[in-house]
Amino acid sequence: MLGATTKPKLGLSSKNYGRVVYEALKGGLDFVKDDENINSQPFMHWRDRFLYCMEAVNKASAATGEVKGHYLNVTAATMEDMYERADFAKQLGSCIVMIDLVIGYTAIQSMAKWARRNDMILHLHRAGHGTYTRQKAHGVSFRVIAKWMRMAGVDHIHAGTVVGKLEGDPNVIKGIYSICRDSFTKQNLEHGVFFDQDWAGLRKLMPVASGGIHAGQMHQLITYLGEDVVLQFGGGTIGHPDGIQAGATANRVALEVMIKARNEGRDIWNEGPQILAEAAKWCSPLRAALDTWKDVTFNYQSTDTADFVPTPTMAEA
Amino acid sequence: MRITQGTFSFLPDLTDTEVSAQIDYALAQGWAIGVEYTDDPHPRNCYWEMWGNPMFDLRDAAGAMTEVHACRKAHPHTYIRVNAFDATRGFETTRLSFIVNRPATEPGFLLKRHEVGGRQIQYTIESYAAQAP
Repeated sequence: MLGATTKPKLGLSSKNYGRVVYEALKGGLDFVKDDENINSQPFMHWRDRFLYCMEAVNKASAATGEVKGHYLNVTAATMEDMYERADFAKQLGSCIVMIDLVIGYTAIQSMAKWARRNDMILHLHRAGHGTYTRQKAHGVSFRVIAKWMRMAGVDHIHAGTVVGKLEGDPNVIKGIYSICRDSFTKQNLEHGVFFDQDWAGLRKLMPVASGGIHAGQMHQLITYLGEDVVLQFGGGTIGHPDGIQAGATANRVALEVMIKARNEGRDIWNEGPQILAEAAKWCSPLRAALDTWKDVTFNYQSTDTADFVPTPTMAEA
Repeated sequence: MRITQGTFSFLPDLTDTEVSAQIDYALAQGWAIGVEYTDDPHPRNCYWEMWGNPMFDLRDAAGAMTEVHACRKAHPHTYIRVNAFDATRGFETTRLSFIVNRPATEPGFLLKRHEVGGRQIQYTIESYAAQAP
């Protein structure tokens, strides 16, 4: 599935924000998303945002014949406030709401129960996790958080990417994705899975990959993450030189040609750039996207490293 | 308009060879192929008419292609899709679905706005195709 986080996330009026949502959905995305810090601000009151976003979602759905959604962020100061916002989202006909990890485990479980009771998908943004999941000395691995969240009953979770600005170590990411999607997870030390885990009938958790990714990386994303994932291109949709719809179309075409090629038995890892270039011949939005982002990549040492691999220690002063 | 449900809707219409390759892939995963058609592709219309039963025992893409051709011949002016169903425990769902036939003109949808209290609007999507008798 394809998504995007509305950009710029801070400063747009509700009406302009809804415009971004409409353009991205009509262009071919399945979902658009409020970012973690979109709650209720002086320039954009939450009720105002919800109203405009639902106009965008329904208009895009009628224009494409597809079911579309926008994750309305209901994160707020108290449970009562969150229930009020979630109820309003339901009243407006949204199929999905979202919360931030910082609301805490009890609140997350309450919202999961609310979501089941009201037939809604619950998206979780992992805001705040970096303060303890990247601590080697006394933290908690994100793989563990993902497991707790699956048990808590959320439906979507930001689980990292292997390319892009929030890139993680591929093995660590594989471990997190297994915890989200497997029916049975086998011990795999390299992935950070220390023992066999039978998930019985526990509902799966859809991982979300986002952060600095673009259409030119489609072959890498599919190879590493598979297809049961929401790929969210924020800047990679909204930053497109020909506009947001073109950005969304570029990503959708890139995804579809890559899945098609993989299913036809082509070696997408090696032929990926060529497959994209072939599609760019008939799809000008994709051509512009590939020209814009080319081989943009954020190559730095990942901070998410496997626990059993010896990690470098600080040099003695 | 062009409805964009399912996989591959943003690509040029697939040729028979390309459709067959996708069916081969689905069969190799152990998924069962089904062919369905409808004149009302409302986003919430999940039960299209089945063109025969899903082919649980089929192992050869040629058999599925025969059904696709037969369905196209019988219902040339409808939407036809190929579904691939995965019976694996934990999935038990459609893993791949794509359109293989479209009407020459796609009528699209009407978005009805029913204004209720405050600034709220209740939305209804109606298929133009469903308005004709």
